[in-house]
Amino acid sequence: MIAPDAAAELRAEKRFDLVAAILIGAIAVLAGVLAVIQIGASQAATRADLQAARLASDLSARISVSEQAIDSGLGSQQFALILGMEAAARQLAGVENSDASTTAVGQAQESAYQKLTAALTAMSATTGGAPVDPYTAGLLGATTKQLLTELAEQNRQVDLASAAGTHEQLAVLGLSLLALAGVLTGLAAVLREGRGGRISLSAACAVAASSGLLAILAVV
Amino acid sequence: MAGEMLELSASEVEGVVVSEVIVGDHEPSPERGRGGVAILLTVAAVVAALIGFRAALISHSASDSWQSALRTDVKRSAAAMEDVSYLYQTELPIAMRIVEARIVQGEMLAAAQGQSGASKQGLLLEAGVEAEIITGLSPSSPLATGADYALASGGLDLGKRLADLRAQHPESLALDPDGLEATGDHLAHKAEMMTFALLPTSAAAFLGVLSQPFRRRRLLLLRLGAVALAGGAAMALIVEVLA
Repeated sequence: MIAPDAAAELRAEKRFDLVAAILIGAIAVLAGVLAVIQIGASQAATRADLQAARLASDLSARISVSEQAIDSGLGSQQFALILGMEAAARQLAGVENSDASTTAVGQAQESAYQKLTAALTAMSATTGGAPVDPYTAGLLGATTKQLLTELAEQNRQVDLASAAGTHEQLAVLGLSLLALAGVLTGLAAVLREGRGGRISLSAACAVAASSGLLAILAVV
Repeated sequence: MAGEMLELSASEVEGVVVSEVIVGDHEPSPERGRGGVAILLTVAAVVAALIGFRAALISHSASDSWQSALRTDVKRSAAAMEDVSYLYQTELPIAMRIVEARIVQGEMLAAAQGQSGASKQGLLLEAGVEAEIITGLSPSSPLATGADYALASGGLDLGKRLADLRAQHPESLALDPDGLEATGDHLAHKAEMMTFALLPTSAAAFLGVLSQPFRRRRLLLLRLGAVALAGGAAMALIVEVLA
């Protein structure tokens, strides 16, 4: 003879086992999914972070080097202008004082000024030119437009790193909750069918569901 | 007979769950296939651990390469900045003064040719002053005195001088942060592909666990689990070898 409530007990036990088994399986699958998300997000965050640092370093180098080249060019032009002004001053002084010697020196300086200006133009053309390596040439020839473009990209990488970091945090939180769900499922398996076991299993289901939600949020 | 009756009455109450609740003569033995479940779950756990470990290692290598790319980039830019700074801030101001003195001296001497008396003396005096400047500064300016750097216009080839300065440290020219970054990208892609192998492996674990309560379909679930596990392991091996 089978006791009247034997079937009900058996069904309850089977249902408990089934829920526990599905939950463990779901935890295994979620762990796999969250691991994929976490590693992907971690790599994306690391890469974007380092790319942002590289671009910041490159921007700094480009600004410094191109400024030096520009400053040097302006300094050289000042050399020539001073010579030109000195030439004009001497010629004026020579005319005012009727001093042929000073006028002659001023005229020679004027001619030297013209030649120096031409020499400087030729020198400027060699800045960053062959046979300078492409990297250094790029630093020397950096334009404001290029720098602004690079700055925008650097800012974009910072934003990317921040977003990927958030996704990684969500995935890690999901994995932590998943571990908790695993522990609760284990506890339910120990307590078996009964109030404590059912509460533990229900809590494990809720925590695993939260973990699944975090996995979705980490992807979106 | 009793088992069939129980199944019938239970099905009226429980629906889906009852399809697996079989007691009596037709219920498969609870022990049947349990060894298979244990083996599948154990192997799935080991394979998942190996895949996770390998993916973490590859990911770490990718991160190392990216870090190295950053360090190399900083090193390369520092070397370039040092050479540029030396040329434009240390060498060029002295060389410019020499270039100016040479041009002015040449013009003074040329003008003196057509002059006489005080004018000629004044021009020669100015040329003499410039000559003294040239003599005084030249020993300290390889840029202004190097014949290779002289331009026809009287100026200096700054590009050639900078290339020569850079060539003094060939190791800094050989630095390739972009190559390191590309290596990091490749490794990161490989790690990501490797982690995808975790999905069929965890599906295998899911099927293995599921086969425990579903006794009737245990063998089918175990076979599917084995296929998923084999797929995950094969995927990991392919990524390891080919990627």
